[in-house]
Amino acid sequence: MRYVKWTFWTILALIVFAFLHYNLPQHDIVRVVNTYQERQDLGDWTRMFWSSPDDQSGGLVNRDVQFIQTVKANGKPMVYRNEDTGWNWPPYFKFDTASLLTEAEDAKSTAADPKWVVVTHYGWRNEFISIFPNAVGIRPAEGPDERIIPWVNIVILTTLALILFMIRRMWLQFRERVIDPVLQDAGEAIDRVDDTADAAAEKARGIWGRFKAWLDTWKGKPRR
Amino acid sequence: MIGFLRLAVFGFVGLTVIYFLLSIYSRSVAREELEKEWDADHPEGGDEAARRAYIEAGMREYESGLRKKLILLVYVIPVIVVLALIYLTNIY
Repeated sequence: MRYVKWTFWTILALIVFAFLHYNLPQHDIVRVVNTYQERQDLGDWTRMFWSSPDDQSGGLVNRDVQFIQTVKANGKPMVYRNEDTGWNWPPYFKFDTASLLTEAEDAKSTAADPKWVVVTHYGWRNEFISIFPNAVGIRPAEGPDERIIPWVNIVILTTLALILFMIRRMWLQFRERVIDPVLQDAGEAIDRVDDTADAAAEKARGIWGRFKAWLDTWKGKPRR
Repeated sequence: MIGFLRLAVFGFVGLTVIYFLLSIYSRSVAREELEKEWDADHPEGGDEAARRAYIEAGMREYESGLRKKLILLVYVIPVIVVLALIYLTNIY
């Protein structure tokens, strides 16, 4: 039972972490190399890694998507998609895709004369299933080593922690004021049942007795 | 446009649920505070009817007080956050 419990909590923690890691904003310091637009087929399960910029895009099997090609300070390539999130999840309310593409075009630079920019994005890059993080903002960087403090993430995670704390407080208050009084009334009845159960437990002493008692728990109860 | 309406409708429903849950919680905390105040002033327990009257008077005060109105911020803050996000993402 303990392994089931731990597996459950580990999986839950992983899902929560992955969800936050995908949706919260992150910053990369990159050099914009180029931008391009490519028709994307959106008919399979990886659809969830693309946006629905407008109302009809949910029903389209393929459509054009803008991309921003960049190189990171460590020389590794990074490609972002550039899509509106609109009023949908995640709640970035991005409507300025065309303007962002223009800014990216304006920031293009070469390896010989690099112009470093900070790209704010959410999402994951995975070559094998061809998914791209969505760029939501671009601004000039102080340099390739600029230290970025993730204020937005600090605020969001703190707020989430406060909300969880509040839910716990509300639950405890509900239990104290509503459930416990009911349980107290029922307590006396339960005590009587307890006495009968204690007497039954006496009979099932010893390892063999306990084993037999355990076996008995698999028997069906007589129908009333 | 449908996206905006969907967000507005579901957002309003969700915030209303939160509003009512917070109202219940806040009322419960206020009542508990009154009970504890009375019990601290009357270690012997005091008159049961007077205790009830004291708590009901305190609750009437709570119902018209600022604390209850502050729960309406549940509707205000998310709207401000969304407007701020739209400004920061698109215009700033």
